[in-house]
Amino acid sequence: MFQKNKKKKLIEEWIYENDVTVTRYLIDGLLAFNSENKIFLMNPAAERFLGAREQDVLGKTVLELSSFPKFNPLVSLLGGGLEEYYRKELDFGEDLVLEITSVHMKIEGERVSTLVILHNITRQKLAEKMKSEFVNLAAHQLRVPISGIKWFLQTLLDENIGDLNKKQKEIVEQAVKINSKVVYLLDDLLKVIEIDQGKYLKKLALNSVESVIRSAIEEAEPVLKEKKVKIKLVKSEGDIPEVMVDRERLKIAIKNIIDNAAKYTFGGGSIKVFLNRQEKCVQVKIKDTGVGIPLSQQEKVFNKFFRASNALKINTEGSGLGLYIAKNIIEAHQGRIWFESEENKGTTFYFTIPIKKEYAEFLTEEFY
Amino acid sequence: MAKKILIIEDDKFLRKIIKKKLLLEKYEIIEAIDGEKGIAAAKEKLPDLILLDLVLPEMDGFEVLKNIKESQESSKIPVIILSNLGESENIKKGLDLGADDYLIKSKLDPGEITTKIAGILSKNNK
Repeated sequence: MFQKNKKKKLIEEWIYENDVTVTRYLIDGLLAFNSENKIFLMNPAAERFLGAREQDVLGKTVLELSSFPKFNPLVSLLGGGLEEYYRKELDFGEDLVLEITSVHMKIEGERVSTLVILHNITRQKLAEKMKSEFVNLAAHQLRVPISGIKWFLQTLLDENIGDLNKKQKEIVEQAVKINSKVVYLLDDLLKVIEIDQGKYLKKLALNSVESVIRSAIEEAEPVLKEKKVKIKLVKSEGDIPEVMVDRERLKIAIKNIIDNAAKYTFGGGSIKVFLNRQEKCVQVKIKDTGVGIPLSQQEKVFNKFFRASNALKINTEGSGLGLYIAKNIIEAHQGRIWFESEENKGTTFYFTIPIKKEYAEFLTEEFY
Repeated sequence: MAKKILIIEDDKFLRKIIKKKLLLEKYEIIEAIDGEKGIAAAKEKLPDLILLDLVLPEMDGFEVLKNIKESQESSKIPVIILSNLGESENIKKGLDLGADDYLIKSKLDPGEITTKIAGILSKNNK
């Protein structure tokens, strides 16, 4: 025991003596805690970020650090046990956003120290915000003429101002279709901005997932009809409880998955939606008989703007935002989403929504 | 007697299109090109329904709606917001201020808008 403590002390001294000079010049903040979770190093960058001097905090435990107001977000994140985190974003207010990484240093499997690295991402966040604001503004500005075009074309098509011949009608119908695609793209872009800004769930209430699925299927009807793809909802036996969800958002997520399945399934194919209850969640499984996703590209499926190479050959016009939006909606509900796919055989998407009946129960866990 | 619809919309062409469609449905149309004129028309002409744009010169549609709903003469007139602003906070704000429906221009065509109007008017008649 004595040997072990001596060793730990030596490591602490080694870190301090050997690394302290280097850490003084780091632009990232660095905090080091010993095995008793007491701070023994705080570099100048961390002093600046957290508004405290090293000499005032040395020897304090994580929880004791909460007496320094600027440490609070960090203390809440790390907890008394100094959990490990990788690039966790924390807002410290006053225009300071830090990315926190905490690492346990271990010797012979035993934690001897914890390093907490504070990386300043304020400028990056500001640039992201400006980009979002720009896209938001551009999408809104574009919506005005696009709506005008839609209305004008529809007025022509309704023949309110005179009859159209067959050829003219076909051309106007085509123009309506193209215009609608721009409307959908702009809508998707605006949804992505809301996701990026972290303000996505609005109206949480108890809802039946089955009824949300049925509404999503109804809304996906045009694409299912166009692709001549059949859809069936299969509900497992027994009661499926209502869950706390934002109905409109969840419907968008389900519709996006169904739309995607329909777009890449050939005529005569089918989509089955399975709904079942698991111990702590409701699980939805959406299985298609479509073209599948090539193995080499599967890890990118939920990325923004991703389009699989075989999907591009079939349909060049998708925005590549549908599944990104779906994933973010499901995760905002603290659910999980994943898929299995085999090229030329089909894809099955799964997602879960935790069974939570109280709004308060939802709020106790982290979500945005 | 024909039902009166007040259209508060600054875009001349959009106003014309929706007006044409509503005239075909035998509604009587009152037009206002900005919020102030819209509020005045709502109080004087007492329409059966108001179609309200949000991005308007001088006074925005939310202020117009607030004014209409706070004024005794016009508070009971159903209002449909017809806007390109589609974010949820705008929708919530509009409905909280008392709008009966919130329609996004790019998602509906004039025919669908007339259907919504007919729905609200028939609900109010019951």
